Amino acid sequence: MSDQQLSLYELQLQVKGSLENTFALPVWVKAEISEMTVNRSGHCYLDLVETEQGTDNVIARCRATIWSYTFRMLRPYFETTSGQTFGEGLKVLLQAKIEYHEVYGLSLNIRDIDPVYTLGDLARQRREIIRRLQEDGVFEMNKELELPLVPQRLAVISSPTAAGLQDFLDQLHNNPHQFVFYTKLFPSVMQGNEAPRSIMNALDSIYEYEDLFDAVVIIRGGGAQLDLACFDQYDLAFTVAQFPLPVITGIGHDKDDTVVDLVAHTRMKTPTAVAEFLISGALRFSQELKELETHFTELITDQLEENKIRLNDAADQLNQLINQLIVTQQNRLNIVGIQLANQSEVFLKAQKSELQKYTAEVKRLTNHFVIKQKHVLDFSGNKLNFIFRTQIIKNKNLLNQFNHLVKIQVSDQIRNEKKSMIAIQEKLRLVDPQNILKRGYSLTMLNGKIVKSVKQVTQGDLLETRLGDGALESTVKEISTIK
Amino acid sequence: MATKKVTYKEAITEIEEILEKIENEELDVDELAEQVSRVSALITICKDKLHKTEAEVEKILKEMNQ
Repeated sequence: MSDQQLSLYELQLQVKGSLENTFALPVWVKAEISEMTVNRSGHCYLDLVETEQGTDNVIARCRATIWSYTFRMLRPYFETTSGQTFGEGLKVLLQAKIEYHEVYGLSLNIRDIDPVYTLGDLARQRREIIRRLQEDGVFEMNKELELPLVPQRLAVISSPTAAGLQDFLDQLHNNPHQFVFYTKLFPSVMQGNEAPRSIMNALDSIYEYEDLFDAVVIIRGGGAQLDLACFDQYDLAFTVAQFPLPVITGIGHDKDDTVVDLVAHTRMKTPTAVAEFLISGALRFSQELKELETHFTELITDQLEENKIRLNDAADQLNQLINQLIVTQQNRLNIVGIQLANQSEVFLKAQKSELQKYTAEVKRLTNHFVIKQKHVLDFSGNKLNFIFRTQIIKNKNLLNQFNHLVKIQVSDQIRNEKKSMIAIQEKLRLVDPQNILKRGYSLTMLNGKIVKSVKQVTQGDLLETRLGDGALESTVKEISTIK
Repeated sequence: MATKKVTYKEAITEIEEILEKIENEELDVDELAEQVSRVSALITICKDKLHKTEAEVEKILKEMNQ
């Protein structure tokens, strides 16, 4: 075994001595604060760890102390420089004096702190979260949602007591344009380690009433610029990015945007700015509406005026056209009339001359025919003349001959007649009533008529009796007939 | 109530479409009259929505539990 035997105390003293030799000067140590307590006197006790990259297994652990007089200076310095609350979960670069206590063992006495390291680490973490969100494909999701032209129904996530919330609500509800906004508060813790979980719970509640809201507003009431680390948290950023309603942030800080700001639909610096954004959106829309209305009114007025003018023009034109048409037709009619008159005259003249021509022709032909016929007639006449004359001569001769013959026959006849006449005269002398009356015969007459029968006479008639040398008158006394 | 459901965007889009038609003189006088009343109605709906509180919405929000 060993030659030398040490008491525990002697051992501790030797360890302490060699450590003090090895770490005579303070060293810079990178570590993560896993636990932190500040006691009443202001001393700060830390539990520092180092985890294996990727597995988060603790591979080293050590206690550390910041004495109160140092802590009082270091804490504000760190917080104002890094913008982070000094506390658990932070990765820090610390200047430490290694101390070894016989009873309590190894401990680091913190003398200084370098906030730049923490900032760098946070930035790295932040980049890492952004990269993961991008890889998960959710980074742009909320931005791709369409924010309604006028988001009026707002789900507000805020701490109910925050001054920023009241400013926001006052400004929104008392806007000078009398736009209506509906707000519903979903209270949440907005600071510290609990904040991400609390905000996510609020988002879950809103999700149940998704249809009632136009957008989500996440506001944090001004004041301390610290502790935005919760807005760089992966789970919260993931939830916001994927949220089905557009998220508007007004977290109230001037520094770099948090990851939640980056994934939100719209990022405003302060709650007041969010209110302004909402009001100006409504105002823009309202003005656009007014312009449309004005434009519309003008357009309609113009259109009506134009239609009126067009109608009048059309009426005028129609009038003109009709007048023109009438004039044209009248002219045409006149021309046609004149033409007709002219043409009639020409036609008539033509017809007249034609007629005259025909008349002349007919006359000529007639003359010709007449002359021809005359000739024929003359010829025939001459012929007839000749025929008649010869005939006449012939007949004359015949007549003469006949005459002569008749003369002879007549004188014979006359002679014979003369002889018979003398004979007749002789006879006649014998039968003459005078001669008969002379010989004693008489005639009885009644009213000038010879009475041949007694039946012709009645008693009392006046009878005339003619004798050879005169006449007697007598009245009938008696009539008797011969038996 | 059905007309109340028109979103601002739908209203503006419809108004702009009608305006374009009027500008391009695609409408006869009868259609024009019809569209004029439609645009007036849409503008009124938008103005009411902007400035008049809908009791219904308020009530729902008030009664809502988180």
